[in-house]
Amino acid sequence: MKIQPSVQPERLNHEDLAAKWALWASVGYLLMFGTLGVITAIKFVIPDFFSNYDWLSWPRIRPGHVQGMIFGWLLPMYMAQFYYMVPRLTGTKLYSEKLGIWTTVVWTIGVAIGTYFLLNPANTLNPWLMTKGKEYEDYDTLSNIFLFVGWVMLLWNLGNTFARRKYKQMYAALWYTMGCLLWTAFVYLIGNWPSQLLPQYAFRGLNDANINWFYGHSIVGLIATPGGLGLAYYFIPKAANAPLYSHKLSLIGFWTLGAIYIWNGAHHMIYGPIPYWLQTVATIFSFLLFIPVFSVITNFFGTMRGEWHQLRNNVVLKFMMAATVFYLLTCIQGPLQALRAMSAVVHFTDYTIGHAHMALFGTFTLIAFGGAYYAVPRIYRKPLYSEGMAEWHFWLSFLGFILFSTALWIGGFLQGIEWTDPSISFIQTVRDVEPYWHARAMGGMMMLLGMFLFAFNLYKTATVPAPASTEGQISIAGGSEATATA
Amino acid sequence: MTLTENEIWSGIAVAGLGMVCWLLWLIKMKPEKSAMATSIGIGLTFSIGLLFTILIPSFNENWTDLTANHEPQYHATYLVEHGILYRQWPDGTQFQATDSLHPNGNIHSDAPEGTMLGYTPLEQYGRRIYQREGCMYCHTQQVRPLYGDEMRYSVGASLAVPADEREYVFDQPHFLGTRRIGPDLSREGGKYSDDWHYSHFFSPRQMVPGSIMPAFTWLFPDKDADGNPKPSPDAVALVAYVQTLGYGRLVNDPKVYPGSGWGPWLKPADQQLYHKKGNTQVERAAQPIHGI
Repeated sequence: MKIQPSVQPERLNHEDLAAKWALWASVGYLLMFGTLGVITAIKFVIPDFFSNYDWLSWPRIRPGHVQGMIFGWLLPMYMAQFYYMVPRLTGTKLYSEKLGIWTTVVWTIGVAIGTYFLLNPANTLNPWLMTKGKEYEDYDTLSNIFLFVGWVMLLWNLGNTFARRKYKQMYAALWYTMGCLLWTAFVYLIGNWPSQLLPQYAFRGLNDANINWFYGHSIVGLIATPGGLGLAYYFIPKAANAPLYSHKLSLIGFWTLGAIYIWNGAHHMIYGPIPYWLQTVATIFSFLLFIPVFSVITNFFGTMRGEWHQLRNNVVLKFMMAATVFYLLTCIQGPLQALRAMSAVVHFTDYTIGHAHMALFGTFTLIAFGGAYYAVPRIYRKPLYSEGMAEWHFWLSFLGFILFSTALWIGGFLQGIEWTDPSISFIQTVRDVEPYWHARAMGGMMMLLGMFLFAFNLYKTATVPAPASTEGQISIAGGSEATATA
Repeated sequence: MTLTENEIWSGIAVAGLGMVCWLLWLIKMKPEKSAMATSIGIGLTFSIGLLFTILIPSFNENWTDLTANHEPQYHATYLVEHGILYRQWPDGTQFQATDSLHPNGNIHSDAPEGTMLGYTPLEQYGRRIYQREGCMYCHTQQVRPLYGDEMRYSVGASLAVPADEREYVFDQPHFLGTRRIGPDLSREGGKYSDDWHYSHFFSPRQMVPGSIMPAFTWLFPDKDADGNPKPSPDAVALVAYVQTLGYGRLVNDPKVYPGSGWGPWLKPADQQLYHKKGNTQVERAAQPIHGI
């Protein structure tokens, strides 16, 4: 590719319209599906909560919460931040702001359809519309079509932006973005293959389960991980105002991530009815994941060398570093859970739920929060409405999540140990973990309160009139410094 | 096509070695300067993993072959009672139903012992209800080959048999599950009477104090002549499906089963034990099978 005369990226006036649309879609869905999550947690301790509504029964809102948080909140937020980040890193304008807006419209409709038919107030059994009944691929086929089309639109938009880039060398955040875009397209197509509509021999039984877990693991490993890490690779050095620790390390991390993650799906069926060799392969590759994980952690912590004092008042870095620590923890937990000895105890317990939340909330949602606090003031060219509220959001999320996940780990582990003793009746093991479910619901409510503060803060940032400034004048999180200069 | 484990491991070793060499080469080639090279690399890493974890396992004949007559493992029979098709204990005397799912069409009528059987239309409909109500989010359908699992789901002197690959050939979607908020269900069939299940679906905490299962009251919209909640066709189908779980699973135990040595995993004494259990708070409604 010919290198064209370079334009300073700061001088370009980015419209950021596409980013704004995706941003508000994701924030709205965050509140909605966060509330569903808290109802799910409350139903553990009050099973008759809303029990007369079939569409609010626990098994219907639970996939609504899980799918909604991934496809309603996390991916649109990634999209918004990609729309912000990619043009700035490639030194060119976004290929089409209009296409970006339509992407959000299509995507939002897809999530709305999916959620409606998961809650299923009409009790339909139509195979195109009803839940697919498999974890992480619960959304119905109609909704899958909308989401896939939306993703291809995003791929086209950002792919064309990549092609028009002004710099030949691509920064780590850009490969991770490309990885997220391509892997998501592949994984989504294979994982949501509508096997219920195909002739009976295709993808049933254990093939169905194997593809389900290939998809279930890849949705975290090849969709949330490359997207979230790509954003962190951009926002950590930006927010800390420090260069990335090591380019080569990020290269190793990226390619090993891609080569290894896809092999992990079968570790969700350790001791299950699948062949022994497949379980062993999944365990081995789970341990190989230490390579990409430690290269990422080293890189992020290395970037912070000499900059740790900034954590005191830089709320973006607070989110990012908490996310990095949780990433380290979740990625130590994951391979250990794939060991047969560990899996025998903690499989099927709440321990797994705590682990999954540490990846999707503790790591990637915190990265998305941090990125939003960095990007939104710059998108609107105004200082953040309230830095103090962002601090509250951080501590509610952080402490709420610690309470939430610790309760699940301890409760899950205890229940797993109790299950190894057949003399304890099943219902007794349920009663014994109940106190931990109370703690989990409390933690969840703290996290939800933080989310409402987040949404209010962003809303006020966008709407409260403030002296106009240029993007460069906004300081780290758009706080006091920016107000002073403006 | 079937690959032995040694062949698979050799293949993985070669692919792994190739991948390491290729990654080293890739890093040397600086793919970060070409969007095309990056994209091809992303596609290749994906394909190799897909080949070994999805495609090669899918040739496993125990996962796919619906017609293979393996060593005797499964045998189930059916009983029509009040117009409802019931799967009954495998004593070989009951009515048999046409299974629209089976490739041979009507295999039940002349199925040799040991042939895997599919679901009847009623049971298949029950699976859809199971799916719609999301039972698989709280109940697994796999007994692991572990002391705790086999003992916990055992009945009397009958140890719960660990899950076998061939149990799942007719399942679309699969209901293996990941979380036991409630107990595993794969050996549940026959443990409780249908009436017990109806009562339990209507009011779980009345049947099991301390249970946190949701009450599925919308499966009982009408009342019968005595004013008791009456199960809808959905509830009937759901219970018919739940009763199939683990029901026809056979084990080889010549001491208990003289002759071929094969018999149901629930030994005769335990079958009696569990048939007597149950409770008749909800009348079993006679539901026609047509129209489902």
